[in-house]
Amino acid sequence: MKDVLQLARTHVVTAFRERVTLFWFLIFPLFLLTILTLIFGQLGQEATIHFQIALINEDHAAGPESFSALIESTFVRLSAPQEDSDMPLFDLHQAPQGESASFLETELSELRRGDRAAILVIPQGFHTSVRSSFGGESSGHTLELYMTDASVTSETAAGIIEQILSGINREILIRGNAYHTEQAVEIKTEWLGQQDGKGVSYVDFILPAIILMGFFTNGLFGVPGTLLFNRDRKVLHRYWVTPVTVPRYLTGFALGHLALCVLQFALLYTLGRFAFQANVSFSNPQTILLLLLSAITFMAFGLFIAAIAKTANSGMAVANILNMPMMFLSGMFFPVAGLPTFIRIIVYANPVSYLLEGLRKSVGVQTGTLMPVQLTYLVPLAWILVSAMVASRRLRWDVDP
Amino acid sequence: MTQVMHVRGLAKRYGDVRAVDGISFEVQHASLFTILGPNGAGKTTTLEMLEGIREPDAGEITILGERMRRVTRAAKQRMGVLLQDGGFEPHLKVKEVLQLFASFFDHAVSIAEILERVSMTDKAGAQVRTLSGGQRQRMAIGAALVNDPDLVFLDEPTTGLDPQARRNIWDIVANLKSRGKTLLLTTHYMEEAETLSDHVCIMDHGKIIAEGSPLELTAGLGEETLIEFRLDDPDTQTLRQLEPCCKQIRVSGSQATLETLDLRETMARLLDWSEQTSEEFHDLRIRQPNLEDVFLAFTGRKLRE
Repeated sequence: MKDVLQLARTHVVTAFRERVTLFWFLIFPLFLLTILTLIFGQLGQEATIHFQIALINEDHAAGPESFSALIESTFVRLSAPQEDSDMPLFDLHQAPQGESASFLETELSELRRGDRAAILVIPQGFHTSVRSSFGGESSGHTLELYMTDASVTSETAAGIIEQILSGINREILIRGNAYHTEQAVEIKTEWLGQQDGKGVSYVDFILPAIILMGFFTNGLFGVPGTLLFNRDRKVLHRYWVTPVTVPRYLTGFALGHLALCVLQFALLYTLGRFAFQANVSFSNPQTILLLLLSAITFMAFGLFIAAIAKTANSGMAVANILNMPMMFLSGMFFPVAGLPTFIRIIVYANPVSYLLEGLRKSVGVQTGTLMPVQLTYLVPLAWILVSAMVASRRLRWDVDP
Repeated sequence: MTQVMHVRGLAKRYGDVRAVDGISFEVQHASLFTILGPNGAGKTTTLEMLEGIREPDAGEITILGERMRRVTRAAKQRMGVLLQDGGFEPHLKVKEVLQLFASFFDHAVSIAEILERVSMTDKAGAQVRTLSGGQRQRMAIGAALVNDPDLVFLDEPTTGLDPQARRNIWDIVANLKSRGKTLLLTTHYMEEAETLSDHVCIMDHGKIIAEGSPLELTAGLGEETLIEFRLDDPDTQTLRQLEPCCKQIRVSGSQATLETLDLRETMARLLDWSEQTSEEFHDLRIRQPNLEDVFLAFTGRKLRE
């Protein structure tokens, strides 16, 4: 057992002393988390960001001076070209007169595909109902907001729309001289495929993805890198003249790899939690299981690459080729819902997609579903199995004579 | 137990090349056994089969009383191996490398003692990538000694080292021998074989062509003395005049070697010849035959190309 532990320690120690490794495994994900959170975490102030939203005003009857018209005009104004920036905040899609019902249907499917960030509906009788609430009654004056949590854009758009509506709320209260009423407009938010509708911050949404990305890079580059360089520089050759065996070496290596993943997780979580006030918790058993499954899947995938590559350099090249498509076509950074079919095939074969969605759902930042739920564990397990089979057949542990 | 290792009919081929062609030998306890030969003679392949990292195509190995087709894990517990070319994790510290290797064995010597034995105590905290060639090699020997092995393999331990570093390694090897270890060494340096060995086995083209103690091997060539010198413009024809008093005359490039049983006679004639032909000779050297000459006598080639 002491040999296995020493090998694990060696793996961790050398990873930390090698600057390049350290950069890719720890600094880069930390850096990315910081950058993404700083840029997208405060989207409310960023007018250059552009959202596709739909507005359906079913309360036309209330007339141009109504609160319904006030809301509509506010959004229309925000969608008009801005003086100080090139892009307006919203690209507004509005229902043609009298076709609101069928329009909502089309827009909802756009939302599901990721082509809309949000849909806001002003229901019929909204103005009257708000008016009457100034008299003390308070019922039925809610706006309907449709979002999907399968998309980052929708998450951020939700926050912005809610801010705008709270501004309108204040305006309505002033106009109605109804200072005693705290809330004139209530928003009924409807998340597609959703059970409970609490909003999440961007950092909560991106943190699981960054952690997964860290594990992914660690497996994809770290495993074949370390194994093949050690083999090609004949470090392994020296081990085989001692009583140490391949299974024992591999056990030690795997243990060291998992230790690195734990360290990676701890650092990223600490940064997200304390520097960016992430609320997301990774402590439930399903989350821990998924994190472990992710680390193992990507390690197995690294072994697969090591097995199909002839040398350390070709292994790194293969890892590079696979890195980008697998990471981007997983929903890690942008929604994959609206992509063409042939690219979606990659999304569905990609273990990262399942692990990411599973992880986001288990920590409660996503409830909508793109990937088939029953495959969350099956697809990564299939990858582990295939990788293990290929590695056990094809991976060479020593240089040729 | 006097015999530590016994090899019968050991063979290994790579494609059409018979790297090791059915060799047999025995290694006695507490002795230093050397396999001497030029590059590509099959020395390393032989050792790698005995170390358990190459599977022999044929033959039988007996190590420390245990007969085996392929070297077992139990046998490895009692062996120490210095490979000719092996790497180390460049970012590990010397003592970490030794700790790692020590963890591979059931029983290990203390790291401090190993460091002491290979004179690396002051480098214990240095990372491998900062070491010089000689220091690296001493650490590598240290890694081969962590289990206090009964049988030590040293594959070309001094190749590529400067003379000072080579001497340091020789000291370590001599010390191991004095502590009763059995050593199996390969080298293509004949001084090394001559200085260190109890028994030398000369290999060429995968076969053992001569075997014995250094003294036995050189004595086998006869009682002759060698006269070596360099000529500016060697004239082989006129050198032939010296033939009656020599056993053999060899000229290669500007280098001439005379083998003689009667040194006084030959020297006198050589000086006469020089006078007559007004040939100047340089770097005159008179010496007894060495292992290089043994190799030459058996193969007609020099040890080093």
